This record gives sequence, structure tokens and C-alpha cells, in this order.
Amino acid sequence: MKLLVHQDGSPLLSVRVAFPAGSAMDPPGSEGAAWLAGQMLAHGGTRRRSYKQILDFLFPRGASVDVSVDKEMTCFHFDCHAAHAAEMTELLAEMLCDPGWREEDFRRLRDDAIHSLEADLRGENDEELGREALYGLLFEGHPYGHPCQGRISSLRRMELSAVREFYTAEYGRNRVVAACGGAHAESAAARLRERLSTLPARTRSDGSVPAAPPLRRTSMIFVEKPSQGTALSLGFPVEVRRGHEDYPALLVAVSALGQHRMSSGRLFQSLRQHRGLNYGDYAYIEYFPAPMFTLEPEPNHARQRQIFELWVRPVAPGHAHFALRLALHEMEKLAGKGLDDGEFEAARSFLLRHQALLEEARSAQLGHEIDGLFYGTGLQSQYLKRTLPELTPSDVKRAVERHLRPEAIAAAFAGPDMEALRKAILDNAPSRIQYNSAKPDWLLQEDEIVSVRPVPVEESAARAVPAEEMFE
Amino acid sequence: MAERNAFPFDYELFDFPNGLRLVAVPLPWRGTASVYIVVHAGSRNEVEPGCSGFAHFFEHMMFRGTRAFPPERYERELQRMGASSNAYTDDDRTVYHTTLAVEELDALLAMEADRFQHLEYSEEDFRTEALAVLGEYWKDSAEPLNRLHEVLRDTAFDVHPYKHTTMGFLRDIERMPGMYGYSLAFFDRFYRPENTTILIAGDLAPAEARALVERHWGGWRRGSYRLEAPQEPPQKAPREARIEWETHTLPYVAVAQRAPAYDDSDPDCAALDLISALCFSPGSDLYRRLVIEEQWADELWANQADHLDPYLFTVVARVKQPERLPDVRRAIEDELDRLVSAPPPQERLEQVQSHLFYRFVLSLNRSDSVAAQLAPFLALRRTPETVRRLFETYHRVTPQNLAAAAAAWFRPEGRTVVTLEEKPQ
Repeated sequence: MKLLVHQDGSPLLSVRVAFPAGSAMDPPGSEGAAWLAGQMLAHGGTRRRSYKQILDFLFPRGASVDVSVDKEMTCFHFDCHAAHAAEMTELLAEMLCDPGWREEDFRRLRDDAIHSLEADLRGENDEELGREALYGLLFEGHPYGHPCQGRISSLRRMELSAVREFYTAEYGRNRVVAACGGAHAESAAARLRERLSTLPARTRSDGSVPAAPPLRRTSMIFVEKPSQGTALSLGFPVEVRRGHEDYPALLVAVSALGQHRMSSGRLFQSLRQHRGLNYGDYAYIEYFPAPMFTLEPEPNHARQRQIFELWVRPVAPGHAHFALRLALHEMEKLAGKGLDDGEFEAARSFLLRHQALLEEARSAQLGHEIDGLFYGTGLQSQYLKRTLPELTPSDVKRAVERHLRPEAIAAAFAGPDMEALRKAILDNAPSRIQYNSAKPDWLLQEDEIVSVRPVPVEESAARAVPAEEMFE
Repeated sequence: MAERNAFPFDYELFDFPNGLRLVAVPLPWRGTASVYIVVHAGSRNEVEPGCSGFAHFFEHMMFRGTRAFPPERYERELQRMGASSNAYTDDDRTVYHTTLAVEELDALLAMEADRFQHLEYSEEDFRTEALAVLGEYWKDSAEPLNRLHEVLRDTAFDVHPYKHTTMGFLRDIERMPGMYGYSLAFFDRFYRPENTTILIAGDLAPAEARALVERHWGGWRRGSYRLEAPQEPPQKAPREARIEWETHTLPYVAVAQRAPAYDDSDPDCAALDLISALCFSPGSDLYRRLVIEEQWADELWANQADHLDPYLFTVVARVKQPERLPDVRRAIEDELDRLVSAPPPQERLEQVQSHLFYRFVLSLNRSDSVAAQLAPFLALRRTPETVRRLFETYHRVTPQNLAAAAAAWFRPEGRTVVTLEEKPQ
């Protein structure tokens, strides 16, 4: 067990407790066990208190206990007022150490998980559908190969006993991290240590996750659904993660290519600012949870296996082929030449200074500290301060040459008329587009190159799937 | 109730001769500051027919640069600063917000003052940006809830601009590329100092904030446009609409009532906020029944969104068992009707007051959050005092006030119900 404690005079207490348990540890056939274990603990009542009693307790305190279940980490967290510090800490300890395991709560939460895949993901969020489809393509047959919620078929079959079994096997005291900050943090930490130490010293998993399956040929998935736009996510596995020697250099490169929700990235400039193709375009080398809903990455989604990911927000269905080509074109320009000095300096300066803002709220800081333990790199702002000042543009060039020259890429589309798009890509058809205003010569010349740029893919590696068959 | 100060920070207001107001809030978090520039113009200002969505579109155009700061230079500067920067538009406001290291504040305010006074963009850029707005509409259009709100507003209102969402009607968004001239007029009318409130919340003294704003914004010229938003006539009969959704979805139901305009000392306005938490939040009896026990619904919430003009009190549920849609709808309507004759006991009301108070206090956990919480209130009243007054009003509300507010605002003739269901295959 590891404790992180930062007591101060703040009127609020923040607590995060992270277990190294996630959907990558789901037993085959029980995909969704990790998700439901997390949900049952946070939103399923304890042995002493029903879920309703817990809601009644939380209500006048304006507080909630939240949980995030990712591939390798499940994190429970709350913020509360100093006046409620002891009783909120007690409630969390009770949830973690003495869950209620009631059948009716299990039914409710299993329904929620099924609906989050069946209704929300397939039906209501084309962008996340595209991202999850990309992950499914890249991690087929791998512990990351299913959404964190599980699969619809396994959730339907799931029994409460399988969830309890997951809890018994994976929620051990030996690798848990409890982080407390703000008001009464020391007594909260002491209480959590006392209660969490009653958990057995166990974990079925040793925490290792195999490397991503090698991507030997370009693969595409075309998820068909009625929509006004077509969402696109593309990428490939990278071995680089925090702590890898090329991480800082690649982070700078990817920030310049497409810093999340900033207009400064090359992708954003090229696709949106100059061409008006869509609402935004970004690049990542670390998993970013629910990017469509937030400007800042929620911590405690740390992963040993990462991908290089380009996120192209929905484009007009007739522009999807061109958008794919243009995104690849921008990636290759970066891989070939790296960054000029001005871009390099701006991106480095951004990363060095921006991280402090991400860690300003106490809860976020605790979360980033937990991630620092996971990667062995310490608090991210400190890690960047140690590594970025040493970097040079040639380090970036070397890193992009090494990691952004994939043998193959994976691409996932979600939207209407997928068969026509699939055929156009397989036929390598030209994809010139018309604009609604005059464009400069350099852009039109670039379009000439981009609109015929080959994206070689074999027919057997380009699958069209109706949305209603995804995540089954 | 001294300890019940919902906004526990000092602040100072500065009114400049040109009509601009600065709200300066020194905060305990070291080294950072948040600048929220609140323009008192949102989709409520789109009074001409065919111009819905324009305030939001204009927010996009504000990033298209000036002579001194073309977009590339502006973006590069923000990057260098490591700033967190974005903007959003709502019914009554457009907000440009940046959180950054406090030592960069001078540079940021210079850059922002430049674009608010000297924005300049070509018709080509304007036409291109119109497509980005369309892209934004597409990304949201997959969400049934977006459609539900679009139809709800279109059904509930006849003449007020609240009839459309902030994104606007799709037919108007598609016409936007041809509206260059109107965009210049929009800027000229609304992007004026008397129509703008700047909030600077962070690690600096109010006098320093004032000096910075005076230096960069003092010369901004006042405008003369006066907005006349049309007044919505009272609703005389219940209204309904039904949406068929193309893809798989769980059914949704929205039950809305006409609600009063925001007023921090109006017991009705406060009572409706309390009712939304009392009757429709996870702490409510109806939530227990519909979500936890019967499990007919998996989501239930209500909100009484504060607006400058009378808007809506809306209850939304997502129904797990499609055949239960009529039951869930009836349960919501019964709950609205029941309050008139069966207000909650005092003890329960105190729990709700406590809930709203702590929920708000818990959100004040860093500079950016404090500023983000404050900005909507500044759009309504230009002072943080309104938050304190509102919470004082919450605490004065009695069970009888709740019953009276329900009797006044939850009349059947003021009700609009919209359902959304999967299209039969």
C-alpha cells in the first residue's frame, strides 16, 4: 500500500484511491467484470448501507463518490467539505472494504453498462464510436481489445458471482495507492490505511500487459450508421510511454501536430482553419479519456501500452477520404522533417507551463501523482521540467523518424455510406474537394498531391460493420 | 448564517468611463490567473429572422485575427504562455476564457484587447469558418439529447429567440457563409465595452488587475445599439412534440414548464432551483423509485437554467423499458402537480439548501473553476454579489414558498412535453 498525503489549510478534502485493476484483467468471457466491480463498489451500496441510504447521506453534503475504470486502473475519488472529512472517508472505506453485493444493484449497474455500449456508444457519440473501433482494431485478441465497460454479450451473461470473484482476486492491499490532500488529509490517510490494510494481500494479475499485436498491414473498419457527418480516428501502436527515452521528444512533436483542443496544431490549421473540413483535429501519444467532453485529461487512465492517435472530428461524408489522406499527409510531413525551431520552442514552452495548470486542483494533482507512481516518472510537471529543457529539435526529428514511420496504420470511420467510402479507398479513387471560397495557390497545389495520395489497403483488411454489431 | 457564505472570496468592481466593468477576485492559488471576458450577447441577441446561431458563429470569428495579431501569431503566443484557452456561447452570453501563469497576464490582456477592438477578417476566412460551425453541428447531431432540446425550445417558444438553441437552426447554419455583412454589424453592435464584463480571478491584487485593464482596454469606444428582445406571450395551452430517432436509442422524455427570469431575490426563482434538487436529483424520492427500485429509467434530472428573460424549468428522463415511457412521464407530471398541495417538511428543505450550498462550494477548487462558476452570474448581473444574494434567498425559502412557486409555474397550460423514441423498423 502506498500513501500520498498533503495536508493544508484548504476548506476541502480531496481523496483518490487507485487499485491496479482494470478491464485488461477481465477474465476471457467475463469482459465487463472490472467495470462492474468498480461500479458495484461506488454505486451499489455497502453491507451496512443500501445505495439509497448512501445517496441520502451524500445529498445534504453536496458530495459524490465517483469511480473511473480504465484498462489497468480503477480509481475511486471524492471531494468534500472539511466539515464532512471523517464521515466521507469512512464511507469510502466502507465501500471499498465491505461492499453490499445486492442483486438488484447488480441488475441496475449491468443494465447501465449494456446501455452505455448499446445506446450511448453505438447510437449517440460517433466520435467515441470511431475511437473505440480503432482500439478494437489495433488490440484484437489483446487484453485491451474490448471497451472498458466490457462486451454486450458477456455483460448479458454476467453473474454477480463473477464480479465478486474479480473483486476478491484483484482488490488487494499490496498495490493500492491512497492519496489525500487538503483539510484533514492526515487523519483521512490514517483511517484509509487502517481500513484498506484489512484487504487481503493478493492480486491474481501480476500487472504485466503484453505488447500490442504488431500491425503488419494497413487495416480499416467502416462502422455504418445514419449520421450527418463521418467521424475518423486513425493510428498505430507506439512503444513510447512516460519514462521511455523518446517520450519527451515525441510529446513535443505531437503537441505541435495536434495539441488537444488547441488551435495551434498543424492538423487543426490544415484541416479546419484553412479548409473548414470540420470542427477540430488533434494528435495523441497517450490515451485521453472522453476528449469530446473535456479540455483536460482526467488522470488515472495510465496505461503500459499506448498508441499514436489522430482524431479527426466529423467531416461531411463526401470529404472523409480526403480527410484521411490529409491527416496522413500531415503526419508524414512531420515524420520526414520534424519541427522548425519556432514550432519546437512554442510546443516545448506550452508543455512546460501548461502541466502546472492541469495539476492546480488538489484532486487532479493527487491523480497525476498516482500516475507518476505507475510510470515511475514522478509528478508529470516535474518529469517534464527534468526532461524538456535538455531537448533539441534534432532529438524531436530523431524521435519522429523512429516512431512515426509505421509499416501500416489502422483507421476507423463511423458514419453513413460506408460502402461507397470503402470502395473509393480500395480503388484509390481521387478525392478532390470543392471549397465555398477562394483558396491560396499553395493550398490548391497541396490538394492536388493529397487528393490522389495512395492509401494502400487490401480488401480483406477493410471491414464494413453495422454499428449495431459493434462491441457484441 | 455567516458560515454559509457561498462565495467565500473578496472581490472588487471597477467601472471604466467607457462602460466596461472589471471584476477582480484575488484567490489563494499561487502563480495562476483566470481571465473570463463575458460579452453580454448570446443567442438571445439573434432577433432578426434567419440569423439564429450567429452569436456562436461570431465567437468562432473572434479567433480569425487582427493586423497586429494574425491567427498564427495569436495562437503561437498562447502556446508560448502554456495557457488553457477557449470560448463558449450560450443563450445570454459569449465567454472568452484563458487560464495562465500570472506573469503573462499583461501580454494576454494586450492581445485580447487588440482583437476586441481591431478584429479583421476576410470574407474567404468567414466562409471557411462557417463550415467549421457546420462541423460542430454534425458532431453534436448524433446525440438524441441535442435534438430533444432543439425540439423542446422550438415547441415551447413562439417569438422569443430562446426558440432556437445556441447552435441555431440547421437551415440558418447552412446559410451562414453568405452572411458576411451581417457579421460585421453583429460585431459593431455587441462587442462594445458597455456590453462586456472582464473577470480576473487569481494570484494578484485588484489594483494590479485594474491597472492592466485600464492600460489595454481604456481606449475602447462605447457603442450605441440597444437590443429589443421580443417578449414571449404567456402559453395558453399544453404543447407536445414527438421525435422519431433514426438509430438505436433508449426513449427520452422532457417535461418543461415556463419559468421566471433570473432574479437573485425572487423566492419563486430560488424555489424552482430547490425543487429541481428536491424532486428530481439522485437524492429525490422519484429517483429512488424510477431508477433504483422500479428501474424504469436510468437517468433523471431537472434544471432551472438561469436566464435574462423567462425561460424553462425542464425535467428529463431516459427510460430503460420503452413500454414504461407513459408511466415515467406520468410520474414526472404527478411530481410537479403534487408539490402544490404537499410541500416538503422543513427538515427536508434544509437538506436541499445544504445540498446546493456544498455542491457550489465544492466546485470552487482552483482559479479556473472559480472563474467558470462566476461567469454565468456576471452575464446576468455583472457582480459576484448576486451569488451571495441568491444563496441567501435559498435559505429564506419556506415549504410554503415552494408550494406557491409550484402553483404559479407548474400549471398544465404552461407545460410542454417532448418525447424521443427509436423509429420503428
